[in-house]
Amino acid sequence: MVSIRLDKVTKRFGKVVAVNNVNLEIEDGKLYVLLGPSGGGKTTTLYLIAGIYKPTSGRIYFNEKDVTDLTPAERNVGLVFQNYALYPHMKVYDNIAFPLRLRKEPKSKIDSKVHEVAKFLRIENLLDRYPHQLSGGQQQRVALARALVKEPSVLLLDEPLSNLDALLRVYIRAELKRMQQDLGITSVYVTHDQSEALAIADKIVVINKGIIQQEGTPEQIYENPRNVFVATFIGNPPMNIVKGAVLEDGTIETTGSRLTPPPAVLEKIKRLKLKNILMAFRPENAVVSEHPMEGRFSPMGDLFEVEPLGRDAVVTVTVGEFVIKVVMPTKEAMQLRIGSKVYVNIDPNTIKYFDPNTELNLEYIEA
Amino acid sequence: MMPETTDVETINRRRMNLALGIVVLIASIPILVTYFILMASSFANQMITGSMVGQLTFTLRNWILFFEGKLTVASAAVYSAWDILRYILNTFIVAFGVMLVTTALATMAGYACSRMKFKGRKFLIQLLILLHAFPGVSLIIAVYALYIFSKEPIPSQWWTLYAFIYVIVARAALEIPMDIWIMKGFFDKVPWEVEWSALIDGASRIKVWKDIILPLVKPGIAAVAIFSFIAGWGALIYVLVFLPPTEKTLATYIAGLLAGGSLEVVHLPVVAAAGTLYLLPTLVFFSFVRRYMLQTSLSGIKG
Repeated sequence: MVSIRLDKVTKRFGKVVAVNNVNLEIEDGKLYVLLGPSGGGKTTTLYLIAGIYKPTSGRIYFNEKDVTDLTPAERNVGLVFQNYALYPHMKVYDNIAFPLRLRKEPKSKIDSKVHEVAKFLRIENLLDRYPHQLSGGQQQRVALARALVKEPSVLLLDEPLSNLDALLRVYIRAELKRMQQDLGITSVYVTHDQSEALAIADKIVVINKGIIQQEGTPEQIYENPRNVFVATFIGNPPMNIVKGAVLEDGTIETTGSRLTPPPAVLEKIKRLKLKNILMAFRPENAVVSEHPMEGRFSPMGDLFEVEPLGRDAVVTVTVGEFVIKVVMPTKEAMQLRIGSKVYVNIDPNTIKYFDPNTELNLEYIEA
Repeated sequence: MMPETTDVETINRRRMNLALGIVVLIASIPILVTYFILMASSFANQMITGSMVGQLTFTLRNWILFFEGKLTVASAAVYSAWDILRYILNTFIVAFGVMLVTTALATMAGYACSRMKFKGRKFLIQLLILLHAFPGVSLIIAVYALYIFSKEPIPSQWWTLYAFIYVIVARAALEIPMDIWIMKGFFDKVPWEVEWSALIDGASRIKVWKDIILPLVKPGIAAVAIFSFIAGWGALIYVLVFLPPTEKTLATYIAGLLAGGSLEVVHLPVVAAAGTLYLLPTLVFFSFVRRYMLQTSLSGIKG
């Protein structure tokens, strides 16, 4: 039973600040996903937790124990690397037994533990093979088995699915989540794939430029992003952003259409003395049609493209300088004519408002 | 008949292989011919030259004479059979000595150059190439001076032993820079993750190096081993300078036979036998190590 706490952790490589003053608490038994673009500092954070990197400043705690100066082995973590990092010259059995042999456990105990974990991950029939004789998915399981066999207090996963093909990825990620729940092991999972993060996380931590952008449940992150970065990183396609001008009468004007924001939003706009505002909405919270719809905020634009993806289609509309993507049923989308004038009918209750200067969601700015 | 169709961008494999084979064969003709003449002459009654092919007869006499230490049919033994055996043994001692010292040091230093951070690392790596370009002969006076100074405090009955050690170390020193470079290349190819993984599993840095990294750079070790073995086996100048005149290796023995007017005295097919014998271990050793050189044990890592 281990919870992890990062206290003002900073990691510099020369002049580059990879992780910048990060405070983070990872609850016991939960699956935390570090999500962000490549070079954002998420893998560095993971390696800091593993003990591969030492923080430039700040402390790391497992429960109340300060582990900052402990080696990776002393922290008892299991780590699955993106390239699996299996030992190519050892058979699968020896790969899995390696950490136990280093602990000088008796042979019979090693043997029973290896078989137990192999059975759990359904790779018992592969124990006699060499890593290069296995498929990517099998190698991944072996790497997982090697991490789990030493019964680590924390399981760390660095982009464990990114070397697998798309179908297998969806299949294994469900297995991973199930396994993590069964074992109740505190886990940190690094990925750049937002859909993967939404699918398996108990909590998502969005990291960019070495700074935590937002931390929360998948629902919180998806429904109410804290800033423009999170809004435009999560979702497929991500949120649409439209810039508007705040008028004297308290309405917002953009590309010839007007919208009256909710009173709470209006109050914050006034207090912050904002002249402009960024509005964001999810592609599924709008409908494209030839006529404006009742009760909706409906800016007008040109239909640029329709991409059918089976049941739903992605409809791209250019509204003034903005490119807006809307997800709607393919049947309705196919009736629209490319190049014609259309209206993007946005559900006003789903619109999120951002301060264009700080790019923060107004809801996260203290009243 | 329809011509065989091939994709535009792919060259016919078979034809390609055939062409390559022919080119390699043509390029090898001078080497193959000289080796053939050498080896065949050692089993003939006289040196093979173009005009007298018809008069040749097969004989083992050259080999017998060689191992008896006789250089011509008529002469009494210049060297005894024991001398010849000792020269062969000496050659092996120097060759394996150079190989062991070079391989051990290059493997360790290569790892350090590839993986460890220390001051002047970059400069050192550049210097290695420069050191390799330095001809060993140009250093011989300084190396000899060092030898004389360092020999001084050692009791004279140990001098022969010391000379062997000195030759091995000095000759290895010439090989090491390039071999460090070669080993560094092999270590560079091992992903950091494999090393980290073993560290996380609880292995010490030394243990990781020994049990995880070394098996992965076997081809590099094999390459370095064979290069340094050949260097030690063929070492001439350093052996000539440092070993006492009574302690010869095959290289200095053959060189001695050919040098200084003795050419008129020796029976050349005997020298051919010596030359053939001199070639053999290199070939055997190479075919033994080649297996490891081609082993691609890194193929198990995806990504």
